[in-house]
Amino acid sequence: MTGAQLVLKVLQQHGVKHVFGYPGGAIMPIYDAFYDSELDHFLCRHEQGAVFSAIGYARSTNQVGVCMATSGPGATNLVTGLADALLDSIPVVAITGQVFSSLMGTDAFQEVDVLGMSLAVTKHSFIVEDINDLARVLHDAFELAQSGRPGPVLVDIPKDIQIGQVDFEPYPIPKPELPEFSLEQVEAARSLISHAKHPVAYVGGGVGMADAVDELNDFLTTTKIPAVATLKGLGAVDPTYPYYLGMIGMHGTKASNLAVQECDLLICIGARFDDRVTGKLDTFAQKAKVIHLDIDKAEFGKLRKPDVAIRGDFKKLIPQMKTVVDIGEWQQQVSDLKAEHAWRYDAPGEGIYAPALLNELSQKLPHDHVVSCDVGQHQMWVAQHMQFTSPTNHLSSGGAGTMGFGLPSAVGAQIARPDTMSVVVTGDGSFMMNVQELGTIKRFQLPLKIVLLDNQRLGMVKQWQELFFEERYSETDLSDNPDFVALARAFGLKAKTIHSRFEVSDAIDQMINTDGPFLLHVVIDEKANVWPLVAPGKANHEMIEG
Amino acid sequence: MKHSFNIVANHKPATLERVLRVVRHRGFALQTFNVSASDSEQVAIELTVTGERPIATLQTQLDKLYDIAHLELIPANADAQSAGIRA
Ligand SMILES: Cc1ncc(C[n+]2csc(CCOP(=O)(O)OP(=O)(O)O)c2C)c(N)n1
Repeated sequence: MTGAQLVLKVLQQHGVKHVFGYPGGAIMPIYDAFYDSELDHFLCRHEQGAVFSAIGYARSTNQVGVCMATSGPGATNLVTGLADALLDSIPVVAITGQVFSSLMGTDAFQEVDVLGMSLAVTKHSFIVEDINDLARVLHDAFELAQSGRPGPVLVDIPKDIQIGQVDFEPYPIPKPELPEFSLEQVEAARSLISHAKHPVAYVGGGVGMADAVDELNDFLTTTKIPAVATLKGLGAVDPTYPYYLGMIGMHGTKASNLAVQECDLLICIGARFDDRVTGKLDTFAQKAKVIHLDIDKAEFGKLRKPDVAIRGDFKKLIPQMKTVVDIGEWQQQVSDLKAEHAWRYDAPGEGIYAPALLNELSQKLPHDHVVSCDVGQHQMWVAQHMQFTSPTNHLSSGGAGTMGFGLPSAVGAQIARPDTMSVVVTGDGSFMMNVQELGTIKRFQLPLKIVLLDNQRLGMVKQWQELFFEERYSETDLSDNPDFVALARAFGLKAKTIHSRFEVSDAIDQMINTDGPFLLHVVIDEKANVWPLVAPGKANHEMIEG
Repeated sequence: MKHSFNIVANHKPATLERVLRVVRHRGFALQTFNVSASDSEQVAIELTVTGERPIATLQTQLDKLYDIAHLELIPANADAQSAGIRA
């Protein structure tokens, strides 16, 4: 068979059923092979759409997402998505076509040094130099994308390799090797936990990615240790757990930030002390000893020195942490904090209060739904006011904060989980960054629900201008937005605009009960801000409120 | 602070670029960089860098590179230390 056919065969060996991509000259042999392959290819309307769809696919299933692009501009259009996947540790395999090997280095048409370009935005990248290496390189790419700390892997395949002849061989998929940890380390951690008076579990995205959500909740309900979550950790802790305080960090809940600042032991589980979590680092959980559990040992001590650090597979490691604690007083303190700082949804006026709308939406959505958001104020409101029963149900661009993430990642999730309701919560700025993917929704008749919170501003940037740049609103006005309802209808979506809080309930019901795709255009006050907030460079206990 | 590494890496496209990129990006400056490709499979790299950050942060990031087969950190200022012991 040809190299191109082999590529698709190897994808199938790895259980891939869906591929997102965009064709072009240097990848035409592979697209030709799609023509009579059982694999489903989804044509996105921009390579960035393809890579974010692959990310949404991966995040909503914990499986590898696959995307493809041609050489040159096709490959460069993947870069933002690869960076996003690298910062959020998402298993993605990207396959790019490259010009003929004989032309590489001659500035040939659509030639870009994609391997060179990939170095800063992938976990690893390959260029295939010999057709006899093709299968092994692809197998390695799949293994690497998923093993240890997951991440994006790129495979660049010159056109001559795609059209060359090669034999196909069966390949037993190896079982991933998981690191062993020592009982001594476990004992040291357990001893810290049992001696702690004010412990807090700081839960990150690593828990969901290790598929250890049940193990985590078992640990929490056994020990009753209070827990907080990062943006990517949302959904890992059962939202009904009485000692769960919600999100930590810049826009976290007051209760979680205050509890962490007060704790004497921080049990960091699959998180990485990101600056949006810690605020001013040397004031973060100052009194606390730290237990750091992770799959990537490079995270240990990168920002905060741990007292005990254990590298291991969370499915095995978290159950080992269970131990007897005596923290009744602390539990009471934490419950009081939680009650004192509970969210309030009463806002003055007739306008729509976005947090209240999202809270209502969250309650009305079917139990197992996916919400994928864009970046900005609306993203933080989703994190604060919607509840998730699994990290695979909350897709948000955490590490990179990439506007344009929402729509295409929801496309990927909807294709991965066709029976799950997928909702995009987006802003008027972010929506326009990958708006072309409405074409993908139309083509594949995806029943996505889109909630567009329109403040006619680049809201989050405007908020910072208001707070930290003397209200100098430079380039954040979007009051000349298009007619979003007409735009959606042009792509075959049903659509509706609402302005008043009295319209919210019916509109949410209408959206949920509509069979096909639906865009709910929600006009909100441009003055609405996200609270509370830890100003940049400040400590987490110095949160400010509007 | 000056630090040295002895590295054995797979001789693959961009192996050296990856090492150099990680050194720069993680906040270290290159002092010396000696490469000998003993065969077509592997390449030996002797690397000296300076930087203020804890060297373990660079060591673990280099160690994560897929094509690095072996990485050894030569204890910082080994010469100075042994001189100190003699004195
Ligand atoms: C690709 C990209 N460019 C720029 C930014 C910087 N940025 C962060 S939030 C934001 C405004 C987002 O506006 P909108 O999507 O309307 O959401 P809102 O904050 O109004 O809810 C901008 C420009 C970014 N995060 N990503």
